[in-house]
Amino acid sequence: MTRSTASKHALWPLAALLVLFAGPGVRVAALQAQPTHGAQTGTPIQHFIMVMQQNHTFDNYFGTYPGADGIPSDACMPLDSAQLTADCVAPFYVGDYPMSDLSHDADTFALQYNSGRMDGFVSAMQQANLDGRLAMAYHDGRDVGYYWNLADEFVLFDQYFSSAHTGSIINRMFWVAGVAGSEFNRIPEGGYGDLPTIFDRLQERGISWKFYVNNFDPSLNYRELQNLDHLPPQIQWLPLLNFDRFIDQPELSSRIVDLDEYYQDLENGTLPAVSYVLLLGATEHPLTDIGRGQRVMDRMISALMVSDAWPSSAFMIAYDDWGGWYDHVRPPQVDKYGYGFRVPALLVSPYARRGHIDSTRLDHTSALRFIEENWQIPALAERDAQANSILSAFDFSQPARPPVFISTLRAAPSPRVQVQRIVVYVSYGLALIFGTLVLTVAALGRGRAAVKSSGETPG
Amino acid sequence: MKTRLSIAAILAAGAFLRLWKMNVFGFNSDEAVYAGQAAALAGDATLGAIFPIFRAHPLMHQFLLAGVYAFGVGDLSGRLLSVVIGLAVVYLVYRLGELLYGTRAGIVAALFMALMPYHVIVSRQVLLDGTLVLFSTLTLYLIANFAKTRDPVWLFASGVGLGLTFLAKETGIIFLGSIYAFLALSPEIRLRFSHLAVSFFLMLVMVLPFPASLLISGRSGTGQGYLIWQLLRRPNHTWDFYATTVPQVIGFLVIAAALLGLWLARRDRSWRERLLLLWIIVPLLFFQLWPTKGFQYLLPLAPAFTVLAGRMVSWTADSVHAGPAGTSRLRTGVAVALPALIALSLAAASWQRIQPGRSDEFLAGTGGVPGGREAGTWILQNVPEGAAFLTIGPSMGNIIQFYGHRKASGLSISSNPLRRNPAYQPVANPGLQIRLGEIQYLVWDSYSAARSSFFSDRLLRLAEEYRGRVIHTESVNVPLEGGETVRKPVIVIYEVRP
Repeated sequence: MTRSTASKHALWPLAALLVLFAGPGVRVAALQAQPTHGAQTGTPIQHFIMVMQQNHTFDNYFGTYPGADGIPSDACMPLDSAQLTADCVAPFYVGDYPMSDLSHDADTFALQYNSGRMDGFVSAMQQANLDGRLAMAYHDGRDVGYYWNLADEFVLFDQYFSSAHTGSIINRMFWVAGVAGSEFNRIPEGGYGDLPTIFDRLQERGISWKFYVNNFDPSLNYRELQNLDHLPPQIQWLPLLNFDRFIDQPELSSRIVDLDEYYQDLENGTLPAVSYVLLLGATEHPLTDIGRGQRVMDRMISALMVSDAWPSSAFMIAYDDWGGWYDHVRPPQVDKYGYGFRVPALLVSPYARRGHIDSTRLDHTSALRFIEENWQIPALAERDAQANSILSAFDFSQPARPPVFISTLRAAPSPRVQVQRIVVYVSYGLALIFGTLVLTVAALGRGRAAVKSSGETPG
Repeated sequence: MKTRLSIAAILAAGAFLRLWKMNVFGFNSDEAVYAGQAAALAGDATLGAIFPIFRAHPLMHQFLLAGVYAFGVGDLSGRLLSVVIGLAVVYLVYRLGELLYGTRAGIVAALFMALMPYHVIVSRQVLLDGTLVLFSTLTLYLIANFAKTRDPVWLFASGVGLGLTFLAKETGIIFLGSIYAFLALSPEIRLRFSHLAVSFFLMLVMVLPFPASLLISGRSGTGQGYLIWQLLRRPNHTWDFYATTVPQVIGFLVIAAALLGLWLARRDRSWRERLLLLWIIVPLLFFQLWPTKGFQYLLPLAPAFTVLAGRMVSWTADSVHAGPAGTSRLRTGVAVALPALIALSLAAASWQRIQPGRSDEFLAGTGGVPGGREAGTWILQNVPEGAAFLTIGPSMGNIIQFYGHRKASGLSISSNPLRRNPAYQPVANPGLQIRLGEIQYLVWDSYSAARSSFFSDRLLRLAEEYRGRVIHTESVNVPLEGGETVRKPVIVIYEVRP
């Protein structure tokens, strides 16, 4: 029996006594008063949901977002980082520019970072026989309108770094365990062994959690790799499937579920305390439709907003690695793994500051830090122990904000209504004044006209 | 003094009928649109994002209402402005009657206008037609002044009046036809071309804000699109719509008195009757031929009817005094009883019409929509900001938008631009919109369903297809044949999921 169920059972005698003395009306209230998530929280947030998307930098999505630490006006990346006098490529709106999956391994990072000079974004791709210009392309509200609209209403982090200067596997390990888990961006042959994750900590304390996966295939885990000639995304991007205990132990494996359960949990009021989400098929990885990721995100957030969980929830979106794209902020190097370049990150919550750009230095372990602080769990590793939390993005002094559905379309700012108002006021106002003047003149002249009239009398 | 007291009493009676339980039901679709435009003009950012300032009609009423809405947007304040405008019409009718046939005729005409169900119903609502009637009656008064005094200043002023009438609603331009016909058929009224030209020019100057504001704001296509749609749209009512709906609300006795008076006093015919008759006939013919018919479209004719009826009563009273002494008691009785009978019949009919009876069907222009405001307010309080709604038609959509502050589209809006009001955008693929999460709620309502079972069924199919969950229902008590009432849902709100 877990601690959670034990604590629930402990409340039954109390509930029975209440029913006995106060009648059945009390029964419902007594049962509802049971702690459903196993522990008290340090903040009003009782449900933390985090979606990890893929492969974009902050400048790639929010480089032109007003007010954020975006693309410098003089940014121009040399075609050859060894010859700074060579032609350079300025950031440009991606539009219909041919897309490809840019190189984004540790070697590419080293070339792009170029010992802190940050001038190898184009040449690193050229060296990999890729179109280096593409690294300088960016999206804006036309493509990521939903995220820009979310940023308008909630919190955008503009100093959120990927945890490691390499690809998805290590970055996602930092996300769940606070450590790299392996030397290289590869899954160890025997999995990650006994390495503790945040979910182990939650499980130990009876705090509910789930890992929701879009199009989840329960039969696919790291043990299947020997039978496969490729690394399926589910194994690569869902670190828990590389741990034997999360595969074999039903109380753990049963918590890795299809995304459909997220909607059911919201409807049934059973959303766990901590939810991690992998949107397979909608991760926004280059060469896939970034609109699809936004649509799924919209559906998830809208469903949360109309659920009972909304007033006590926080929904976070981040991107595991930079995907090879340009970003102008030099990432601090806190250890041999990172940080990597900045990635986009957003926070949606009834307590999130409205339209706030949060510049606290964060990385994927900041999510761990928040969970640990909120549910009083000790840190997993040095990284999360040292990480800044996302707490600065909340304003708990205000009551929970009512939900707001965010449009997936970015409306162009229009001063038109104001212009139209002025035009109407001036034109109709003048007409009324002019009309009143003429009618007054006519009325004043009535006596004079009466004298001149034809002498008719009313019939 | 006696006249002033009479006018004050008439205005008080008119105010009573217009204010009695005026706000029991919320706005209907047209009211919601005009109030929404006025709110946008007044600077309400939320409603300004939902209701475009320029739609189809000129904006004089919305402009006046925006002045009221500067102190806060609401349905009650909007309707109070309409009542004030309605009472101004009653006073103008008195002045018109007095000008044409003397004080007694003016008082009687104003009494009939104050009690007339047609005017009472419309002037309890935020509709352009109330302002249209105010300015058209003003124009009639000005042209009557010109005909009486022959002073060209009144002709110029009538040009201004006609311009204001147009700015209230573009259909007001039809009275140019009435004025033209009147001047053409009245050889006794000599005209100088230059006076006519100045009057016409002044009318054009007054009309100018409508096209100018559209042009400056880059919305010149709006008016053109609306005109094309009005010209090409299919009739919305049968040919006998006016014959079956309007006489009863003007009052059969008022019409009878007006016509009887024309017959009995045929020897006293003058330009006055010609003017009033043409004020009735020209728009009547136009609207009868125009494919689009609306309950309130013939309201500007009402003042002419009341003045003709007032003339008849006044003529009867004069005849009493002029008649043989032996029959004076009988004649006096008739002279008093006749207007009293008409007034009582009007008051009774108005009283009946302003009672907040509940129904699950609705005729546009006749009043508020039961349950609409309540559904919208519930949405405002319970549905996330930014949510989008799909309704059967745009009418309920407008109500939801005004009260709920949420965008709503109508399923029945045609994708054929020639078959839809250009102010509305069709929902090309509602299923896709739901799957994309751009529509989250469906609204079924009995009023729209009664008008289009096809789109009602389609909306309900969408609700079924996308796991629609009823999250709110508005019901009304509908009377049964046996006198009992049954509670019937008139508005049902579904939450749908992709």
